Amino acid sequence: MAFTLYSLLQAALLCVNAIAVLHEERFLKNIGWGTDQGIGGFGEEPGIKSQLMNLIRSVRTVMRVPLIVINSVAIVLLLLFG
Amino acid sequence: MPAPASKRRIPVSHLGMSDPHQLFDDTSSAQSRGYGAQREPSGLGYPTASASPQGAFLNDPVSNMAMAYGSSLAAQGKELVDKNIDRFIPVTKLKYYFAVDTLYVGKKLGLLFFPYLHQDWEVQYQQDTPVAPRFDINAPDLYIPAMAFITYILVAGLALGTQERFSPDLLGLQASSALAWLTLEVLAILLSLYLVTANTDLTTIDLVAFLGYKYVGMIGGVLMGLLFGKIGYYLVLGWCCVSIFVFMIRTLRLKILAEAAAEGVPVRGARNQLRMYLTMAVAAAQPLLMYWLTFHLVR
Repeated sequence: MAFTLYSLLQAALLCVNAIAVLHEERFLKNIGWGTDQGIGGFGEEPGIKSQLMNLIRSVRTVMRVPLIVINSVAIVLLLLFG
Repeated sequence: MPAPASKRRIPVSHLGMSDPHQLFDDTSSAQSRGYGAQREPSGLGYPTASASPQGAFLNDPVSNMAMAYGSSLAAQGKELVDKNIDRFIPVTKLKYYFAVDTLYVGKKLGLLFFPYLHQDWEVQYQQDTPVAPRFDINAPDLYIPAMAFITYILVAGLALGTQERFSPDLLGLQASSALAWLTLEVLAILLSLYLVTANTDLTTIDLVAFLGYKYVGMIGGVLMGLLFGKIGYYLVLGWCCVSIFVFMIRTLRLKILAEAAAEGVPVRGARNQLRMYLTMAVAAAQPLLMYWLTFHLVR
């Protein structure tokens, strides 16, 4: 069973890329997951859906630039070493 | 006889031969043969450092200054590392998890195999900080998981060896595979804790410690499988799976469902129900992973 740490890193990179690709206007708003649709006031329990939407929005904001760098590095490494 | 003797004395006696400030031997071929003949008589003079030319290196003021500067640089570097290491690896927090003694390890191992009679699962606190594992059997520690992980790798190597399937890179593969599953588990649980908005004091290191306890059961299962074949493996693994399930539920219940569990009332309400499901899912994942990581070792 060849489940190595390296394949975990690759899977994590692909997952973060997938989250970063979700477009706010074209997609998330259409399925009701836009960030301006989820704020339910100041109740104590945010609920899973609003936590998820917050998570998606923060991942997209924070990881936009580092992902460019990491993806470039990964592309170069994969081209060189297969 | 002369060649090995001079070879042995080269590192200690070459300093006095030429310029005392020269740190590296001039190994051009014409001179080294001449050195080889001269080194033998002066090599014996090394222990009396002050009288012989070798001692001149240490008494020279420039070299003294250089040594003093070098040692102060090393001290500064060490200070810098000590100050900043706490930012990357929480060393002081890690020390807490290794404050164990033999009695604690023995009792904890007994608890891992037989958690059914233990009554009080609360961790004792001492002025807001948890008591060291040495004094409280309920406190998590990293010693047992670390040792169990390494023993699991070794036992996996042993099992593969008895089946003529061993090769050294397989050992590294087993180790990184188990580490990858552990990392995946920790990340999945952290993500679920965030989504369920559980305000626990369960730190990441605590989580690693709790998830590392299953290696003990895995080792037991594989060893029994080696001694008694598949029947022994399934029996012991089944027993350890149930024990770990009960252990995890009883420990995590106190951490994740803090308010409700402290009074012992059965949990109701959507929020607590979600947390209970999370606890049960974490506990149920342990036997699955225990089986997944060991079944290919026992044939």
